[in-house]
Amino acid sequence: MHRWKKTLALPVTLVAIALGFLISLQAQTQKDVSAAEQINSDRMIQMKSVLINSKAQNTKLLEDHRVLLEELDAARKKVGTDPRLLAQLVQLQMLAGTQAVEGPGIQISIDDRDNKVLFPLGTNDIARMINTLKFAEAEAISLNGQRIVGTTDIVLNGSTILVNKVPISRAEGIPYELSAIGNQEILLDYFSKLEAPMLKQNGLTVSIARKTVSIPSYKGAYTFKHAKPFIPE
Amino acid sequence: MKLAKRERSLLALASILLGFLFVILLKTQGVAGRQMEQQETAVPSLIQTEQENQQLSIDNAKIQIELAKYAKGQSALTLANQQVLEAKINAGLVALAGPGIRIILDDSKREAIGEEDPMLFVIHEQYIREILNALWNGGAEAIGVNGQRVTTNTEVFCAGSFIQINGSRQMPPYVIEAIGDTNNLSAALKFYGWFKLGDLQEQNGITRKLDILDKVMIPAGKFREYHYAEPVKEGP
Repeated sequence: MHRWKKTLALPVTLVAIALGFLISLQAQTQKDVSAAEQINSDRMIQMKSVLINSKAQNTKLLEDHRVLLEELDAARKKVGTDPRLLAQLVQLQMLAGTQAVEGPGIQISIDDRDNKVLFPLGTNDIARMINTLKFAEAEAISLNGQRIVGTTDIVLNGSTILVNKVPISRAEGIPYELSAIGNQEILLDYFSKLEAPMLKQNGLTVSIARKTVSIPSYKGAYTFKHAKPFIPE
Repeated sequence: MKLAKRERSLLALASILLGFLFVILLKTQGVAGRQMEQQETAVPSLIQTEQENQQLSIDNAKIQIELAKYAKGQSALTLANQQVLEAKINAGLVALAGPGIRIILDDSKREAIGEEDPMLFVIHEQYIREILNALWNGGAEAIGVNGQRVTTNTEVFCAGSFIQINGSRQMPPYVIEAIGDTNNLSAALKFYGWFKLGDLQEQNGITRKLDILDKVMIPAGKFREYHYAEPVKEGP
């Protein structure tokens, strides 16, 4: 019988042990991964059905809302509610952000996906940009469809940015779209001088366009559990 | 080193096996990664739709109550006045009082010496903005800074030697008052940046003070007329 060379015995044994170890490990992870895959795909299916349900409900609620608003208009007209009072109500709701608005303004698109970007856009940058727009006397502001109101908070949860406690991350398209209604000259001047240079220096792609923007209403709820109107004694 | 034929074939077999294992490993890794991504994009849109649904349900219920009141023949004026008051409170145009917290921030009384950075001895507008953000996150119902109500249009802007808030000049000390659940407010505050100010207090002598009070008063904001924004119906 052919005899093994002594010098080769040790390396071959080691390789054999390592290989055996790898194979068993592989079998194990393969099993785990298949199980995880199964759970994940189940979860995806469930999530999709929840999402479809929730979207269907959304369509129905919006339709209900439209019908109810029409009925309300009709009822108000019938009893003859003072139109000036109703106009005041709308003005106040625009201030509170519970009324969707449209008007001249600017739209700012910011892309931080490029490789030369040193730091992706953070919550502090967003807060600062919004503050500058307020300084430029913007009447209404929205970021990725979230209306910015007095109580708006901007925080980071893991790698997701939450505005009004809602994630604003986008899977595709321009990552951040900031819209503001107001005097276009002032908005453009302030934003392009105070904010854009800093963002561009960081490697972000920033484009500002004058246009008529529409800004959705604030979807959160104002709650006053602790605060009561203050009546001076 | 010279290898015998048999040894060479063994080695070849081992290499093939090893390569095969690697390929499988890479494949499974890829599959897992892709699925995670899909899930990550589905969650935000779900939360958004759910939140909108909740708000719509609340809105619809409110309109239904109002319609019922009209049907019962309640005075249209009372009803409209109620709504105007509610909208005023939401917009921050009504002074509010309730349990809350008071934060006082002030520049350091000490001058920067030697290599010390003088910027670390003053209160910057960013600290105030960070605190406001943390307080809103903690469920604050109303906030005032140096007697200025924080509303939709409130800017906290650094204008050199002073901080501009609601178009007015504000100087230190900055007194921030907020109404809300005092536990939640202080917890949110400590979660976001309160410790950074603590370091500045210890090392540079700035003032950072937090008081929990049974009653704070937040003044009313000013009504601002809009010239550019027009109301529109929000359709599906």
